[in-house]
Amino acid sequence: MSTAVETRLNSRVPTGPLPDQWTKCKNELKLVAPNNKRKFHVIVVGSGLAGASAAASLGELGYNVTCVTIHDSPRRAHSIAAQGGINAAKNYQNDGDSTWRLFVDTIKGGDYRSRESNVYRLAEVSGNIIDQCVAQGVPFAREYGGTLANRTFGGALVSRTFYCRGQTGQQLLLGAYSALMRQVSAGKVKVLPRREMLDLVVVDGCARGVVCRNLVNGQMETYAGHAVLLCTGGYGNVFYLSTNAKGCNVTAAWRAHRRGAYFANPCYTQIHPTCIPVHGDYQSKLTLMSESLRNDGRVWVPKEKGDQRKPTDIPEEDRDYYLERRYPTYGNMVPRDVASRAAKERCDAGYGVGSTKMAVYLDFSRAIEEQGEDAIRRKYGNLFDMYEKITDDNGYKTPMMIYPAVHYTMGGLWVDYHLQSTIPGLFVLGEANFSDHGANRLGASALMQGLADGYFIIPYTVGHHLASQSLKPVTEAHPKFKETMIDARSRIESILAVSGTRTVTDLHRELGKIMWNRCGMSRNAEGLEAALTEIKELREEFWRTINVLGSGEAFNQNLEYAGRLADFLEFAELMARDALERKESAGGHFREEYQTEEGEAKRDDENFCHVAAWEYQGDDSPHTLHKEHLDFQNVELTTRSYK
Amino acid sequence: MSWVTAALRSSVGKKFVMGITGLFLCGFLVIHLAGNLLLYIGDGTVYNEYAHKLHSNPILLFVAEVILFAGFLIHIYLAIVTNRENRAARGVRYAVKKTKREDRTVNLFGWTPDTTMFASGAVILGFLVVHLSDFKFGDIVHGERIAGLEPADKARILMSDAIRAGIYLVGSIFVGIHVSHGFWSAFQSLGVNHPKYNDWIRKVGIAFAIIVAVGFGSFFVWGISGGEVDPAVEEAPVGSSSVLETAPPRPDQYTQK
Amino acid sequence: MPAHKQLNLTLRVWRQPDAGSRGEFRDYKLYSVSPEMSFLEMLDVLNEQLLEEGEEPVAFDHDCREGICGTCGVVINGQPHGPMQGTTTCQLHMRNFEDGDLIVIEPWRASAFPVVRDLVVNRSAFDRIIQAGGYVSVRTGQAPDGNAILVPSPDQAGAMDAAACIGCGACVAACKNASAMLFTAAKVSHLAQLPQGEPERKQRALQMIATHDEEGFGACTNTYECEAACPAEISVSHIARLNREYSKAMLTARQ
Repeated sequence: MSTAVETRLNSRVPTGPLPDQWTKCKNELKLVAPNNKRKFHVIVVGSGLAGASAAASLGELGYNVTCVTIHDSPRRAHSIAAQGGINAAKNYQNDGDSTWRLFVDTIKGGDYRSRESNVYRLAEVSGNIIDQCVAQGVPFAREYGGTLANRTFGGALVSRTFYCRGQTGQQLLLGAYSALMRQVSAGKVKVLPRREMLDLVVVDGCARGVVCRNLVNGQMETYAGHAVLLCTGGYGNVFYLSTNAKGCNVTAAWRAHRRGAYFANPCYTQIHPTCIPVHGDYQSKLTLMSESLRNDGRVWVPKEKGDQRKPTDIPEEDRDYYLERRYPTYGNMVPRDVASRAAKERCDAGYGVGSTKMAVYLDFSRAIEEQGEDAIRRKYGNLFDMYEKITDDNGYKTPMMIYPAVHYTMGGLWVDYHLQSTIPGLFVLGEANFSDHGANRLGASALMQGLADGYFIIPYTVGHHLASQSLKPVTEAHPKFKETMIDARSRIESILAVSGTRTVTDLHRELGKIMWNRCGMSRNAEGLEAALTEIKELREEFWRTINVLGSGEAFNQNLEYAGRLADFLEFAELMARDALERKESAGGHFREEYQTEEGEAKRDDENFCHVAAWEYQGDDSPHTLHKEHLDFQNVELTTRSYK
Repeated sequence: MSWVTAALRSSVGKKFVMGITGLFLCGFLVIHLAGNLLLYIGDGTVYNEYAHKLHSNPILLFVAEVILFAGFLIHIYLAIVTNRENRAARGVRYAVKKTKREDRTVNLFGWTPDTTMFASGAVILGFLVVHLSDFKFGDIVHGERIAGLEPADKARILMSDAIRAGIYLVGSIFVGIHVSHGFWSAFQSLGVNHPKYNDWIRKVGIAFAIIVAVGFGSFFVWGISGGEVDPAVEEAPVGSSSVLETAPPRPDQYTQK
Repeated sequence: MPAHKQLNLTLRVWRQPDAGSRGEFRDYKLYSVSPEMSFLEMLDVLNEQLLEEGEEPVAFDHDCREGICGTCGVVINGQPHGPMQGTTTCQLHMRNFEDGDLIVIEPWRASAFPVVRDLVVNRSAFDRIIQAGGYVSVRTGQAPDGNAILVPSPDQAGAMDAAACIGCGACVAACKNASAMLFTAAKVSHLAQLPQGEPERKQRALQMIATHDEEGFGACTNTYECEAACPAEISVSHIARLNREYSKAMLTARQ
């Protein structure tokens, strides 16, 4: 078992009243002189909202920036898939919103497992993000008078979500991408597409470069710099099936972790309740539909197990609207984690519908009756179309079938207030870090965090690092680069050398099943213990039986995929261990042993009001656990209730 | 590179000029057709009058012809250049290629007016050579068969040949096909696209194409049937070729028949 | 869910080891394909089969598999993204095919999109077109309050229509001239309809078209195949706007 260390991680949170902390911090940061900025080189890994905005902003300041991305273009990063919107405490609606309210909502939504200072800063810069994006030409929805429009989102009593139809993530990413392209044409940023970071180069304890594989020709490339920014997204694909893009992976974060960056709260994963259910063994990916559907849709299952009738033939009295039954106040609008668990509970009890019995109905018949089909079409037309495209079912005529799916991961590399990891010079942004969402993320907050980190935080804190450390000149010729590159290459060679019988997809699917069943929507000690054994066995199975054809010196997607799975197989174990260690239920982490009599999550603030940051100790030694205690001086710890 | 050459070398600039010359040539077609239709009035006299008036001011005629010629030349030149560039832009051809447009009305085994503009243009160019050799340089090409005759009679004689008339029919149809895309397409190239007017531009384009094809094509029917040639005219003396250049039209010539 | 029977298919797939090699078509038989599969899931199944048979899998680009990232895209029986309108390859389902079908699968064909491997092409030319001016030059932190810039709702809607482009390249693949005019127009039109785009509008149109041409894309001849193939259903009216922007800039830009 792992050893818990009670060392206090230095989170570098400024002292003083919460609202003044970020200003105070900025005032105390060291600056790099304008003429000296061009002497520094920053490496940004990833080109999503966090990566693109950081690379563009740093380039603009005068730093030399290299941005590597696994995609063929920076614009493809998975930030693009976010539908709903982005929160900002603008109070344009005059409904009493404020930085404070956004801060409190986010802390509460995260089930009191995030750092107050970080969250407050996020709320504080949220307004600047909107201004910045508007100035870039992001076509946010407008009122008839030309002012910005807002919509309401879960977990808030004010209307503060800015949106671009159902494609907010796309438009924000394209905004950041355009800023990035502008810096490329100005010669300040170099974008290297189709490069995968395989390792971090640490020289004298500082992050000084990366080893990448050029995915087109398989060549290993090294890039040296004065700081490295990881903006590489989340690890939801450890479950195999998730709403993440196929390319999303943990490799960059995991490799950095193995070089000394602590991994925080890996067990916190968000399960989104309204996704299109799994429909076959071949399925490669799950599709999410905006949670706004629950505003008008009613969730139900038949009262009788195995009811074979068509949903439209099942009369009212034989239907169980279980959310309305269990949570009369919030009904179908309970938060994501609650709705997801309730669906799982019904299906596990045998009331599920559809061919796999792992789905529940989302019924719009009453809304259509009351408001008319046209009104529903205006609100959700694109979602109904998407549903029909995938399932061949008409959601207006027959209830949709939905089931929860893995959507976002709140855990990530541990960072301090400067977004620096435990390796000096290694900064982690966006979903890849653990910082702002605690144990559960509110809707429309992921976009906010990615852009806050990239546009408004990292340009200050990276400068401080560069100005305060006397970094020795290091080039790619430094022996550490060669050494790290050989490590990375040998891993690839050993994958190719196995030439076994099982495909990557096959093994990944198996890992996904273990994680979903044992470390998914609800977890228990027994299952997690079993998972630890099963993951270890599967990892051994991988290294014995993996079958990857072709060469490492060519475009080889199967090889890329195998490398990512190898890292997921290591990471999965830490995730299960973290889930086992956290003997409480909080947000996305639900331990069956720790629930109220009504089956609701039960936090243990006495013993678990901390961030669990794990330190890698080598392949043969268990991880060391470091705890960062979470101080709540500004909000009161309360229990969420949606009854 | 000056801004003019830079603009004209760009893909959009070329299409802009293509559109302008195209519309200019459409305008020419209108005038040309209107003039030709005079053949149907008063047994050729009106047509001849029009033809002679057209030729009465050699300087004006020369300038007009130069402009017209330039319009054709630029249009053709750009067609050749863009066609070459466009083919190079594809590189490797598709083994199978199928349209995703479901709204095309004219579609002959995948051949549609808009995808065959270069081909229809080439046919028209070929036809133009025939046409110019008949009517512009007819006296040289056809020699004594028509030299010196009144314009209407020249037309009658040339069009009485079924093969020749057939060439004119094919030419007319291709001009119609070409402008059925070219007319409204020019508006798009010039940036004129607005939901209020698109439908109208389309409809005018189609009507124009039909009018052009039917209008010019009608001379095929006229040629092989109604446009019968008076034997007396057919056997006109060789020496009268200089009449047109030197003398004003003589009304009595037409009253002979 | 309506019951469908399984499909047996012949796939004729373009195989090309790398940019420098000659490619060729190869035929593969695939049995018992579920009609509920997406087209890419069908290719996944093919690849699993190939791996078992000891043949290297078919390389194809894909990522989000929900129609928004623009990574995927192949020409299916001569049609970019297959037979459905407004649909990316990843959102195309096998229920649109018949048992016994021969499906010819080719990469995007354009000189400006060289093949990387099999069905994967290099679309970085699109990035360079954006680099030429597809942005608003505003420094981070310099922006005025969001509501200081008023945008009439219809203008915002028009800009959003254009900005919805996912950059997949189907327009180039569909165009008989391999022209990227719809892609370029989408960005020019997006920014031309917003006050934020105003200061740089002339240079933007001129430079983006100059780069478009340098990259080796063809010219637009208004066949509107791009619009029909576009999964984001971007209208050709944006090309007309680009033409207007360009000609205005051409005649009035100060340089």
